[in-house]
Amino acid sequence: VSRSSCGTGWTDPNPGPQTFRLRNDGSVTAEVDLIDPATGVIYGEVEGLGVGTTRPLQVTLGNGEYAFRCLPEDTGAIVGPKSTVTGGAERSPGVAPVTRNDLLGPLKTYQQHVTEGLVDLVTNTAKLKDTVRSGNRQTSQTAWLTAHLSYERLGAAYDAFGDLDGSINGTTDGLPGGTADEGFTGFHRLEYGLWHNEDMSALGAVADQLDANAHQLQQSFGDSQVDGNDLGLRSHEIMENTLQFELTARTDFGSGTNLATARANIDGTRAVLEVLRPLLQPRYPALSTVDKWLDRTQADLDGTHKPDGTWTPVAQLDAKQRQKINGDVSELTEQLAPIAAIAEPRRVS
Amino acid sequence: VSTRRSFLRGAVVGAGLAATAGTVAASAAEDDSVPFHGTHQSGITRVPPAQSIVASFDIIADNKTELTDLMKAITDRARFLTAGGAPAPLGITAPPADSGVLGPVVPNGDLSVVVGLGASLFDDRYGLAKQKPAKLKPMTMFPNDALDPAQCHGDLSLTLAAKDTDTVLHGLRDIARATRGGMQLRWKLNGFASQPRPEGTPRNLMGFKDGISNPAGPEIDRLVWTPDGGSYQVIRLIRMLVEFWDRVSLAEQENMFGRRRDSGAPLDGVNETDVPRFAEDPIGTAIPLTSHIRRANPRTPDTDSSRILRRAVNYDRGVDVNGNLDMGLIFICYQQDLERQFETVQQRLADEPLADYISPFGGGYFFALPGITGPEDHYGRALLA
Repeated sequence: VSRSSCGTGWTDPNPGPQTFRLRNDGSVTAEVDLIDPATGVIYGEVEGLGVGTTRPLQVTLGNGEYAFRCLPEDTGAIVGPKSTVTGGAERSPGVAPVTRNDLLGPLKTYQQHVTEGLVDLVTNTAKLKDTVRSGNRQTSQTAWLTAHLSYERLGAAYDAFGDLDGSINGTTDGLPGGTADEGFTGFHRLEYGLWHNEDMSALGAVADQLDANAHQLQQSFGDSQVDGNDLGLRSHEIMENTLQFELTARTDFGSGTNLATARANIDGTRAVLEVLRPLLQPRYPALSTVDKWLDRTQADLDGTHKPDGTWTPVAQLDAKQRQKINGDVSELTEQLAPIAAIAEPRRVS
Repeated sequence: VSTRRSFLRGAVVGAGLAATAGTVAASAAEDDSVPFHGTHQSGITRVPPAQSIVASFDIIADNKTELTDLMKAITDRARFLTAGGAPAPLGITAPPADSGVLGPVVPNGDLSVVVGLGASLFDDRYGLAKQKPAKLKPMTMFPNDALDPAQCHGDLSLTLAAKDTDTVLHGLRDIARATRGGMQLRWKLNGFASQPRPEGTPRNLMGFKDGISNPAGPEIDRLVWTPDGGSYQVIRLIRMLVEFWDRVSLAEQENMFGRRRDSGAPLDGVNETDVPRFAEDPIGTAIPLTSHIRRANPRTPDTDSSRILRRAVNYDRGVDVNGNLDMGLIFICYQQDLERQFETVQQRLADEPLADYISPFGGGYFFALPGITGPEDHYGRALLA
């Protein structure tokens, strides 16, 4: 790799498992792909190859044409000489890179989807605020669940909504005072109060702040753009969150509605997948397996939704049911994980 | 014989400790290489290497087809993990195929895998009720047991063993990753085999050599294997009350086991491999009648068929609620017949003095499947056919 040449040291193309040693002789960091020059399909990738460094690239080569493509920072791509591999096995179907351009359409659709979801959210937090102000605990609990699920459906995993996510949906993690800590706000603070018989009049301020934060989020989301990296990551991180925080009931502050949250997270994951689907269809052969596990997980979660509208708390699931749901979500996260790798935006020129 | 704590015991208490058995001291070959393909699962006769994981899973597959896929997936992963090699490079299509814990190339030849099936798998879920191995049943609760249901039983047991901790952990992670939608971990315990101190059979955490005499050679065929090449596996998780034990005099400790603590020799012998002469000591003046080795294996023609192949390892995992150490034994044994062998030994051990110093809390009975005969075979093929 250098400013003017790419992959020039490959002299004897052989099939089977191969390890290339890539050395950057140029003056800037570069990315190197092993591609089929005719289709642009990528068979191997080394990102961030620093100046003067050498890194191995392991690939299994089948019959066909290959070339290295070097992408030095701030410079156009250089495609090296073609090599033809023969006498080996049929080449496994590779994956064409997803570019930032490819993601523009899906991002726009997703932005629109979240924007609509935020309208639901602020409608529901406003209702919740009014209900809490009216002093009726039971109707407030119902309004709380509706509002909380409208937030969880947005797929706000791992700081997708920045600091506001902490204000709106944070837990007591990192708060020395626990549930009494001043920094404990939002849905879970309100949940704690509503389900622990706290004075309704004292909870009015909590509900007000939650509603204000929800409106702030709506405002700031309208002014910002979802990053191209986010779609792929969210497609599995939402359910990773479900596994870590909902199926363990770590985020239960009294309502016992973790499984309702998990169900809303399924909707949030589906929303991401729907916008990515046209890009994934030709690139991810196991997409139908993802759909199968989404359906299965959804059905098993719906099975914990009781006829009276309430949800079974995680701790009240029988052992078999709990294992089933843990297994569903665990398998689903395994099947979703490749999407983050496939949908990562990549340079091709 | 000490009886000073007999008042604690009431009528009869059971014990779960190792049963000493056999007249031949030699154990199975200590060869490092562990072939994956064969008539029997090779991890069964392997002398436990330094590290083990014993895990139990519940199967959550939706139907028999998914169960078959699950057994094939476990077989594929076990075949790869035992053979070693470079994990498939997946390029930009997925996260890395391997956790990388063992480096870029998985070393070969050290990991052994034993897969067993519990009686609970043979219910109406997969239509396997009629295929249940003839002698398989849920683990019996013995009088001294303090069993925690969360650490008992399971549909499938997975016993991984290797020289190094990273190898067994890597194996468990790999297999669990490939099977998440088909089975879920129910309980697991890490075990270790100690170095010989200073030589001979390794010691348990009571300081005694454990597993000195085991069936070997042709005895294995008549004591361990079922006609189809499988074996019944007993796993007993046994807490040792080591603080209590350390407050007991050496003579009392040795009388409870029937062996010298320093050498491992029977109390009427000099070396650990010496065969105790129970017949010459009918009233137990040298080796007490209640001692562990005498109860476990009286070495009479009548009791010969109850001998078992012991593959116990130690465990150590933290602190009890009262500040005592939680450590003990993962007792594992293999046999042709659970009742004729393990349970018969347990019944003979029922009022042994050692019972006061141990507390069995978990484990299960499993049928260790026949070996994988070749590249096309998979665990449970005959059952699922």
